[in-house]
Amino acid sequence: MLEKTGVATEQDLAKAIPTKERLAKGPVAIIECFQRIPCNPCYTSCKRGAIKEFEDINDTPEINFEICNGCGVCVSNCPGLAIVVVDESYSNEEALVKIPYEFLPLPVEGSFVTGLDREGKPVCRAKVMKVLNTKAMDRTPLITLAVPKELSMTVRFMKHHDIYSDNTFICRCEELTLGELRELIRKGYNTIDEIRRISRAGMGPCQGRTCRQLIMQELAAATGKKMSEMPISTFRPPVKPIKLGTIAGGERGE
Amino acid sequence: MRIEEHPILSFDKGRRVDFIFDGKTYEGYEGEPIAAALHAAGIMVLGHSHNKQRPRGFYCAIGNCSSCLMVVNGQPNVRVCTEKLQENMIVETQVGKGDLR
Amino acid sequence: MRTTEIAIIGGGPAGLCAAISAASLGAKVTLIDRNDNLGGQLIKQTHMFFGSQKQYASIRGIDIAGILMKDLDKYQDKIELMLDATVIGMYEDGVIALEQNEKYIKIKPQSVIVATGASEKFLTFPNNDLPGIYGAGAVQTLANVHGVAPGKNVVMVGAGNIGLIVSYQLMQAGINIKAIIDASPKIGGYLVHASKIRRMGIPILTSHTVKYAHGKDRLEKVTLCRLDEKWQQVPDSEFDIETDVLCISVGLSPLTELLWQQGCEMKYVPELGGHVPVRNENLETSMKGIFVAGDVAGVEEASSAMVEGRLAGLCAAKALGYIAADFEEQKNDCLDQLNSLRSGHVGEKIRSGLAQVTV
Repeated sequence: MLEKTGVATEQDLAKAIPTKERLAKGPVAIIECFQRIPCNPCYTSCKRGAIKEFEDINDTPEINFEICNGCGVCVSNCPGLAIVVVDESYSNEEALVKIPYEFLPLPVEGSFVTGLDREGKPVCRAKVMKVLNTKAMDRTPLITLAVPKELSMTVRFMKHHDIYSDNTFICRCEELTLGELRELIRKGYNTIDEIRRISRAGMGPCQGRTCRQLIMQELAAATGKKMSEMPISTFRPPVKPIKLGTIAGGERGE
Repeated sequence: MRIEEHPILSFDKGRRVDFIFDGKTYEGYEGEPIAAALHAAGIMVLGHSHNKQRPRGFYCAIGNCSSCLMVVNGQPNVRVCTEKLQENMIVETQVGKGDLR
Repeated sequence: MRTTEIAIIGGGPAGLCAAISAASLGAKVTLIDRNDNLGGQLIKQTHMFFGSQKQYASIRGIDIAGILMKDLDKYQDKIELMLDATVIGMYEDGVIALEQNEKYIKIKPQSVIVATGASEKFLTFPNNDLPGIYGAGAVQTLANVHGVAPGKNVVMVGAGNIGLIVSYQLMQAGINIKAIIDASPKIGGYLVHASKIRRMGIPILTSHTVKYAHGKDRLEKVTLCRLDEKWQQVPDSEFDIETDVLCISVGLSPLTELLWQQGCEMKYVPELGGHVPVRNENLETSMKGIFVAGDVAGVEEASSAMVEGRLAGLCAAKALGYIAADFEEQKNDCLDQLNSLRSGHVGEKIRSGLAQVTV
């Protein structure tokens, strides 16, 4: 029961979920707000008039799914963070779920996270399709996750993979952990070259083959950039270890 | 422990300054409450109760409960949860109720 | 001795709004706050507020403080600010005594709006005085104002709005919440707050209480137990959670000392947090010229505190002869807003409390 657990029951949700036909048509807001509390920003923020005018500020929202186009403006305006946008038209196998996420680090577009249900239980791997964090959203970024279609009404939050903890090794050669990397980023080392110079990560025997991508992902997450915008490290020979003698021997191998 | 990054807030901190707590030098930010600087340094026991000698930390952090009285620059009974840190402040654990001078 | 027309004690949401509205009618106001900044507890509210646009819904508390401060600036010539100034007494002759920078200052106002807010309640269990056991608001101040983590792990006692909101905010600051517990069989705070915390995998244990705190110099572990429907401990239901922080969020009590000193008629109303002043529709107490607004008049949300502040400011100014053409309109707007904020299911308690003290 919602009042005891804080988790909406199927009965509660029945009121919030549109028909299968409507879901198949495209994005739509799912408002999981079932208690009469004095609050109406969902209504005032909806420019399409999809949410019925509140007669009493304590009314629970009533949404017209035919008018709602799933634009998501109400999602970051809801003080209770009780709204998500679900798009079941995305593909045959997957649906998109757009959730508000007010935590750091933000996930990186294109990476994978763990989808959580209403009790915080991991239910699937989810691909981060979009991270939207505009000024109008006022520090409530929206994360679009691609999840298995049958979980579109289950996934309501995300977490970074558990393997993504401070003790995780990022650079095997130079033994840099994720915790140490994050500490360096906090200190202001914000490019992969700076990280390399201060930590030697990427300068060991593998020459960055295992860690480069991971460091860049972490930097992107910390600096709010896309992977495509991240400067890459300088590549210098030798790209793999060779004997000093081999070079010293020169072309003739003396 | 300091909170280094925050999704909503950025912390405007004062200058980094040294202060002395019970003879040892610590670092804090000028203008923050003394209790915050001590807490950031891992010091949670600010004193002991007069009669039963129970360890005391702060409870309210906004100057209501007066559970955080310490001696600051020689002055006893200072509520360190609201008293602002200054450079080279001498902060001491208070024993007893403090003396009239 | 200094004089002023309206002294407002407390520069939180209620006091700020009171100052703005009284000054907007033309009254000369002295706004007194014990901190060196205004805003009261708004300055640590990082969450978006509920309510409607009139109460700044959907804007974060920290930013509402800024909006109110800007409004205040418009009336600079009417409002005298006294910061770092703690009122220590209000005497029979109406004189307010305060301490500012170790100076003792006396002010004689024509009327007073007391907007002193509330302080955190404490909870009884053995070892409840150990360092590491804090009021939830204290932890919020430490984390959100000073940027210091209270510890690594937190058990939150109280699933009211403060307990739920502070838990969420601590998670945002990277601090782990082990559990939120509440003696009541139901979650007291807004369920949307509860749901957003549950999605993060944090358990909310209703019908649970703290039985014991353990630790030598500071908190190390708490023993919790389950309660039955009569709020009695279920035998053998104890279990331990290791934690270095226990936050107590079991309600607030109005800071009414000054009202007692003035001889205002007071009544014990548990629904409003404890002893609160009897008042009329204009928020004037039984003592003429002494008004109240915000949590000191009964613990509620900051949204209603702002509206009450505005109402008290209007009425105090009018009582001094500052008439606005649209006074009735403004007053009714305040009353309507308060009614609607309190009209829902969660306002039931407030409504029944107010019915006992409004004359």
